[in-house]
Amino acid sequence: MDFAVQVKNLVKVYDGKVKALDGVELDVEPGEVFALLGPNGAGKTTLIRILTTQLKPTAGEAYIFGLNVVRNGGKVRRLISYVPQEMSVWTDISGYENLLVYAKIFDVPSHERGKIIDEVLENMGLTHVKNDLVRTYSGGMIRRLEIACAMLTKPKIMFLDEPTIGLDPAARKVVWERLGVFKEEYGVTIFFTTHYMDEADLYADDIAIINQGKIVARGTSEDLKHSLGGEVISFTLEKAAIKPELFQELRKLVFVKDVLVENGSLNVFVDDAESTLSILMNFLKSEGLSVGKVSINKPTLDDVFLKHVGTRLEEKGRISDVTQMRYMIRRG
Amino acid sequence: MMEGLKNMLVMIELELRRLRHDRTEIYFRAVQPILWILIYGPVMSSVRAIPTGGVPYTDFITPGVMIQTTTFVSIFYGLMMVWERESGILKKLLVTPASRYSMVIGRSMASGVRALFQALIILPIALIIGVRFIPNPAYFSLAFTIIFFASGGFAAISILVASFMKTRERFMGIGQAIIMPLFFASNALYPVQMMPPILREFSTFNPLSYVVDAVRGLLITGDLSNLLMDLVAIAIFDAVSFILASISFKRIIE
Ligand SMILES: Nc1ncnc2c1ncn2[C@@H]1O[C@H](COP(=O)(O)OP(=O)(O)O)[C@@H](O)[C@H]1O
Ligand SMILES: [Mg+2]
Repeated sequence: MDFAVQVKNLVKVYDGKVKALDGVELDVEPGEVFALLGPNGAGKTTLIRILTTQLKPTAGEAYIFGLNVVRNGGKVRRLISYVPQEMSVWTDISGYENLLVYAKIFDVPSHERGKIIDEVLENMGLTHVKNDLVRTYSGGMIRRLEIACAMLTKPKIMFLDEPTIGLDPAARKVVWERLGVFKEEYGVTIFFTTHYMDEADLYADDIAIINQGKIVARGTSEDLKHSLGGEVISFTLEKAAIKPELFQELRKLVFVKDVLVENGSLNVFVDDAESTLSILMNFLKSEGLSVGKVSINKPTLDDVFLKHVGTRLEEKGRISDVTQMRYMIRRG
Repeated sequence: MMEGLKNMLVMIELELRRLRHDRTEIYFRAVQPILWILIYGPVMSSVRAIPTGGVPYTDFITPGVMIQTTTFVSIFYGLMMVWERESGILKKLLVTPASRYSMVIGRSMASGVRALFQALIILPIALIIGVRFIPNPAYFSLAFTIIFFASGGFAAISILVASFMKTRERFMGIGQAIIMPLFFASNALYPVQMMPPILREFSTFNPLSYVVDAVRGLLITGDLSNLLMDLVAIAIFDAVSFILASISFKRIIE
């Protein structure tokens, strides 16, 4: 059984300067929803563009269902569909016409065309606007039209580059519900990139975190969270009190799986908070630290991200994405 | 081959659908050529400075002015390519099974269709101001077929330029820098014989001259003595531009 996606030691250097991918290793099972999660500039788009045969890798190999993306590009393109990160529909014709053009390019037989187009429009909830110019669509509707376009051919694998970028939470939810239904029906593999943590957490069967061109963590959302321990105890301390030596000492304790710090809060990952909390409190007291507040939580994907990437994904990035998306649409 | 033809037709259909929704651009672009034949033509013809071989000056320049506009349309088609590159449209098209060359030729010929409409819209105005066309439907069809294919060639050149230009602003500049010399160093406004020798040399390599010569012969003068050579020149021009544009097209999304 071939993997849906298999990537071996993939390297991509742009213009001999920018190392966008730095030895990526990755396998994706057929039929799963796979999320490639990473901050801006991590190399997500570059990886997708190599997998969809748009760019040649500098080194390494990539296969889609056993087909090499460089040597068998033509065959690969018959199996896949792709939604780029940027807007990718013509805005001066209707939604239906956009799909019609692609149906013809993909050789959908003429007697089935109308039916299939109506079906994908229905899938993505666009039937009522199908004859309107795309120019009049909202950002969410445009994204849904693009995904509808990717559904036309019933591909074996769909590559979605930031499929919900710039959409509000309600619109994102709709997109994922529709994708879920489509996947159930046709068993398509979905490979998507995102920098929305919750999206990977909620919708992906399997996640890889990419940072600076390398895969830094891999597994299901549960696996990844578990790797940090079953629970996280957060102590609010004075910022100045958190010193590197404190880290070292804490890590020496056998039940401590990891320690992370952010904004004056010390997060200690353990398997079981109940049995370890008092020991930790005593330890901090013996170090002469006064603890302000204590809270116990389950580790989140955010924590996993923080551990592997060193920062949380910033809110700032998201807002500029929204403006960028709007800008694209207005120009079209 | 069949695949290429099909994709070409799909791209032409796309262009026709666009035109159906919005023709304002075609109307706006018609203003300039209409000024040429409405004002420049009559003024120059009253000076009687340019030997036109017996036809009224306005009639003489009508084909040239028509072809200048269609060339404009084609050369600026690349602008749309740059926009489609900035958006994700071209990326998505290149991930379909359609071949690169069928996309290039398809888009070029789609521009030819747009150019055809642009040329046709000038006809009624030319008729109203009294330009005398040769009333022969076969000549007419051939003239517009030539315009169609020549525009496709110019659009391919513009796709070639677009694949080297990173921004639309830069493309605009280059576009202007290509069209104006092509126009003035051609036989569109005056016979080649009137030009200084260097320009005359240049004019032999100017595809626009062959197009104008053929179309002028078919629509206005009836002089078809150079038609065969014109057709060959245009065919070579098309082939070369299609090949160059296809080769460089991959670069457009990198
Ligand atoms: N076409 C390109 N030419 C040069 N550098 C590029 C190009 N595309 C991306 N890069 C660079 O490669 C790195 C990875 O970019 P990208 O794959 O777009 O990341 P992501 O999609 O995760 O935000 C970035 O440093 C980016 O600036
Ligand atoms: Mg990206």
